[in-house]
Amino acid sequence: MTEKKQGKLTKVLDYLKHEDPFSKGVAFCPGCGLELLLRFIPQVLGNDIVITGTPSCSAPVLLGQNNQSWHTLSYFGTLMTGAAANATGLARYYRKAGIKNTVVCFNGDGTAADIGFGNLSGAAERNEPFIYICYDNEGYMNTGIQKSGTTPYGASTTTTPLGSASKGKNLRRMNLALKMAMHKIPYAATATLSDMGDLAKKLLKAKEAKERGFAFLHVFAPCTTGWGYAPENTIEVCRRAVKTNYFPLWEAVNGKIRMTKTVKKPKPVSTYTKLIKKFAHLNEADLQILQDDIDYEYCMLGGLSALEGECQLPVSSED
Amino acid sequence: MNTKAKAKTGSQIKVITGNAAAAIGAKLARPDVVAAYPITPQTEIIEQISKFHANGEMDCELITVEGENSAMNAVMAASLAGGRVFTASSSWGLVFMYDAILATAGARAPVVMVNVNRETPGIIAVSCGQQDMISTRDAGWIFLIAETCQEVLDIVVQAYRLAEDYDIQVPVMVHYDGFYLSYLSEVVDVPLQEDVDKFLSVLKDQPERTKLVPGGRLGCGTHGILGGYLELRHKHMSAMERSKAKFEEIDKEFEAIFGRSHGGQIEKYRMDDADVVLVGSGSMCGTIKAVIDEKRDSGVKVGLLKIRMYRPFPSEVMVEVLKGKKAIGVVDRSLCFGFKGGPMYTELKAFETQLGGSKMISFIDGIANTDITQANVEQMIDTTCDLAAGKDVREVTWVSYPEANEPDSEKPDSEKRGGL
Repeated sequence: MTEKKQGKLTKVLDYLKHEDPFSKGVAFCPGCGLELLLRFIPQVLGNDIVITGTPSCSAPVLLGQNNQSWHTLSYFGTLMTGAAANATGLARYYRKAGIKNTVVCFNGDGTAADIGFGNLSGAAERNEPFIYICYDNEGYMNTGIQKSGTTPYGASTTTTPLGSASKGKNLRRMNLALKMAMHKIPYAATATLSDMGDLAKKLLKAKEAKERGFAFLHVFAPCTTGWGYAPENTIEVCRRAVKTNYFPLWEAVNGKIRMTKTVKKPKPVSTYTKLIKKFAHLNEADLQILQDDIDYEYCMLGGLSALEGECQLPVSSED
Repeated sequence: MNTKAKAKTGSQIKVITGNAAAAIGAKLARPDVVAAYPITPQTEIIEQISKFHANGEMDCELITVEGENSAMNAVMAASLAGGRVFTASSSWGLVFMYDAILATAGARAPVVMVNVNRETPGIIAVSCGQQDMISTRDAGWIFLIAETCQEVLDIVVQAYRLAEDYDIQVPVMVHYDGFYLSYLSEVVDVPLQEDVDKFLSVLKDQPERTKLVPGGRLGCGTHGILGGYLELRHKHMSAMERSKAKFEEIDKEFEAIFGRSHGGQIEKYRMDDADVVLVGSGSMCGTIKAVIDEKRDSGVKVGLLKIRMYRPFPSEVMVEVLKGKKAIGVVDRSLCFGFKGGPMYTELKAFETQLGGSKMISFIDGIANTDITQANVEQMIDTTCDLAAGKDVREVTWVSYPEANEPDSEKPDSEKRGGL
């Protein structure tokens, strides 16, 4: 490792101002991207956050069992259908009662993009004062690797399995973060685990933005078990997702979109997919469909980030 | 109600709808958080509350959610954080929040909500019926049913005393008949804010309930499993049982301050010397009382037992009051799929041996806005009297659908046509 890289590492650690509230050993898979993220959030934002979690990969650790818990955070275990509405209720009551708070609504892509999207969208429309974080592992990993709305084209899952009549998911993924930015909220951003300094900055910006309303973070969090890659490759998978523009890093402050990391010479998506078993069956033509989809999304992002002007936000949420 | 609407010094007599009464009841309880989403016939409640909020008469966080599921999820969380909350729904709305209704009960969040009864799933029916109540009855909530607009207001206020009581902490749903009570204007004695504050202040003297606060190192919604799950369920069931006596107590304290009582778990109307009894709930009871008065004039000893608390089921007081009666006719405004009789009838049947030989029959009426008319009630009383006299009567009568009472009504259409 070069000195320069070590310097960067120290910089990330500088963001960790608070204790890790989680037990040293927890029930996540080795190499889990989610674990790194989940431990990181309270170390950056503080241990006084109120975190909500739903049945998902995070649940075995975020939710306790009977009267035992893996962590010391104040948390609210709830249902996938209404997580953003729960966070709304918490944040609104705290505001009414004058209790200083940072409510973090922490959900997988199944909740955020699929079953709970309605109330996520509703909370954003009402500009509710809390932070919503989607950790995106591109499917229902906890229930055994099923397809979700963010599962990319071609990925093999247990509900888009390979077969004589199937090459995996025969649909494009939705772009959740852009959809959220279209809600004209104070803050929306993407982040991933290969760029922890960027993630830390975005967490802090989200915390600051929630004083003006809704803040949304979409964090790309690969799954070693569900995607089929070596546990030690989690960060490399994230890095390549960024370098291929498969998962570009950007933010929208008051609706003004800008790239937080520009990849000068994006690599072909095959440099990313070749690390991951769920794409192993794709031939060149299939990969081109995936590449086209990535290029289209990036083109859209480029167009939006070229726009001038911010949206005028209300002072706070309704009320 | 044993007192006619009579204003206490300073209280206001108003002519308002059941929905307005519910909204005023909620306002008087000073909730911290209200979630609002429209559905017929409840919409007027959240419109009224929005107006109170817009006029600065109601200092609450008003959340105009994007669906009923979020309404219940928002108020559940606000309640567990420590707030007093309110929401209202009906029918399909109630069913759309069903998972959150279960979670609210499981979390023992002391939510108070109003459900304006309307027919519910299966056939789209914008009409009255208690089927929505039946669809959610096993969720672990306390269910209260109002008969009049005055009772709507009073029960909403009382519901907070019950839900938030330290020894109860179970969500309460207040039911009243859509279309009949929701849009019907009646004379209502609107209590003074200071009196309601006084009535609810008892809760402030109780130990503080557990609240989810930032940095509080407390979680709610853990995985309950094996013994831990059983412990929570048993405690919940025990709290439901305790709520019966608590509701009686609350009614007495309410009477001491406001000068009117509606009865606790049940209301007894001309029951003491009655041989024959109708059991009913909600707005139908006004009609039943009127017909009972007429029947009494012609010497028929008939009375009414009105169910006010439906969950927990007030079996002890019902058995006490009904024991030894010659015949009981139970009127249900809903169906109990898989059973022939209505839900309340089917449940009361479980106590048949304790009733000491009282005969029972089921009347199904008032479904989908079929009016429970005086003639219908008279027919029910006459049939119940026939039962008391030892005559052979049907176990279940669909009062407004005589076709159901034909001998071949349960046969398939193909058989009636003479084969496929």
